[in-house]
Amino acid sequence: MTTTREFQDITLERVREHVWEIPKSGEMRVPARVLASEELLEQIGDDKTLQQLKNATQLPGMQKYALCMPDGHQGYGFPVGGVGAIDAEEGCISPGAVGFDINCGVRMIRTNLTYEDLQGNEEELVETLFENVPSGLGGGGVVETDVKTVEEILERGLDWAIEEGYATEADRLHCEDEGRRPNADADAVSEKAKNRGKNQVGSLGSGNHFLEVQRVTDIYKEDVAEAFGLEADQIVVLIHCGSRGLGHQVCSDYVRKIEQRHGDLLAELPDKDLAAAPAGSELAAEYYGAMGAAINFAWVNRQLITHQTRKVFERVFGRDWQDMEMELLYDVAHNIAKKEPHDVDGETRELYVHRKGATRAFPAGREEVPRAYRDVGQPVIIPGSMGAGSYVLRGGAESMQETFGSTAHGAGRTMSRTQAKQDYWGETVQDELQEQNQIYVKAQSGATIAEEAPGVYKDVDEVVRVSEELGIGDAVARTFPVCNIKG
Amino acid sequence: MSYTLREHTADIAVEATAPELGGLFGAIAEGLAAAMCESVPTSGGDRFEIECRAESVEALLYEYLDQLIYERDVRLVLPVDNEATVQDPETPGGEWRVTASARGVPLAEVTAREIKAVTYSEMVVEQRDDEWYGYVVFDV
Repeated sequence: MTTTREFQDITLERVREHVWEIPKSGEMRVPARVLASEELLEQIGDDKTLQQLKNATQLPGMQKYALCMPDGHQGYGFPVGGVGAIDAEEGCISPGAVGFDINCGVRMIRTNLTYEDLQGNEEELVETLFENVPSGLGGGGVVETDVKTVEEILERGLDWAIEEGYATEADRLHCEDEGRRPNADADAVSEKAKNRGKNQVGSLGSGNHFLEVQRVTDIYKEDVAEAFGLEADQIVVLIHCGSRGLGHQVCSDYVRKIEQRHGDLLAELPDKDLAAAPAGSELAAEYYGAMGAAINFAWVNRQLITHQTRKVFERVFGRDWQDMEMELLYDVAHNIAKKEPHDVDGETRELYVHRKGATRAFPAGREEVPRAYRDVGQPVIIPGSMGAGSYVLRGGAESMQETFGSTAHGAGRTMSRTQAKQDYWGETVQDELQEQNQIYVKAQSGATIAEEAPGVYKDVDEVVRVSEELGIGDAVARTFPVCNIKG
Repeated sequence: MSYTLREHTADIAVEATAPELGGLFGAIAEGLAAAMCESVPTSGGDRFEIECRAESVEALLYEYLDQLIYERDVRLVLPVDNEATVQDPETPGGEWRVTASARGVPLAEVTAREIKAVTYSEMVVEQRDDEWYGYVVFDV
């Protein structure tokens, strides 16, 4: 049994199955932990993920250990797949540990259609979705708005969407935080950010963002699947995107503000992208308010795409979306920081839990979980690549103790975009997916398909297996793509 | 001046060199355009100007690239044929300044993908022998 592993001068000690620790040394304030099988650890150790994780332990107020989820990979400053729980009174909050795409996240919409209902309509469906859901660069949004409307969205989140007829009360009740952050502050968001956002409300963007029609292929936990409204062969829709240019600008603005106002703290950190505002400072409160507003923007963004999706299904299948029971299963962020109470050394403390490429995974019983799922645990949606399928999990019983209530957020990249474009040709990937797997893909650019080819991602099955064996997220159902659109 | 797109697991990096600092800024901006679009039209679009100020050369580069990304989203253009001039601070501890221009190719005329933001991660701006060297990671 391997007890230590070394990658680029960083030594990890095996704590137990799937748990590896970088012991505290030098400037580290706490140890770091990587949750991975040996196979995943090989991939995680292949780039700068471990160094970035080690760097993150230097953030003041970090509790217990900085964590890397099983799908972790190199990011900027803080690794993707990183979880950092930081004391909200004596620590700090770091925009770089949230990410530029604030509230990048996923939502799943159920239908009562079966795969058989959909077969024969795939081409029309993918084409109509592509025409009606804005994607790519400069593709506009579902609605064209002005700064005043953006401010309303920033303050009120899904409540705005309900009032404007884009969402229902049921949508609100099945969204994390009911689609509205309590501390959102539109005044803390710059005019620059609002200007970027006003033409992008209801848009996918590009990169790894997508809308996918999927069929449920496997059910692993019948009782939980029933509570989630999932059954074998059912058609569901998965939407993955974030807060678009508005959120990116909020992060950029606050990295610069922190650099200018809290240079003393920044000087102590090994990476400028770990820039952090001390807890209790004016800037920490401002950023928390601005981030909350960007979170609201992202929820509205995904809601407007949901609205378009419902309309497209109505057109293609000739039935009302209500008749097709196109209800939101859940919407959950995977780039976010939130004040949450957690047990640390037997004491309940309020922490800024940073999840960058990590998903909240609260178990049954937590009041933050929507009432409909409180007895079974929070739904966790883990998108895989467009050739490998995705998973629906529920928050695991061990997640609060092990990961501050978190698990993975996807398969995690293992190949660079430049390498992917050398190894894959977009049109070939597209043709193979259709001919071999009956997956219909449409994108603004062939290069995007090449960059997102199934082979550039880690094995999502292995990510979920580790999550399950650690008890931080339990597999409930698996889905497989039918149609995929991307920017 | 020249640039090369460099590998990064999830994002993309631009490495560039130029005889002058302004040329380096322009070369990195050209790398940014290339990261978004494989085939940039050689003509079309109007030129626009920008100006940024910052307390250090790294911060100035960050502000400059952030502004280009902003202009892309609000003008709905791909900034190409980037030219920049950088002025050192007039006094010690004073502000650095860049004045720059770009040709804005309408996004409707190109197939382009989004770069979300410029990062400070692994950023290098320094003089090496007789030329300027820069390395910037962009969030995709």
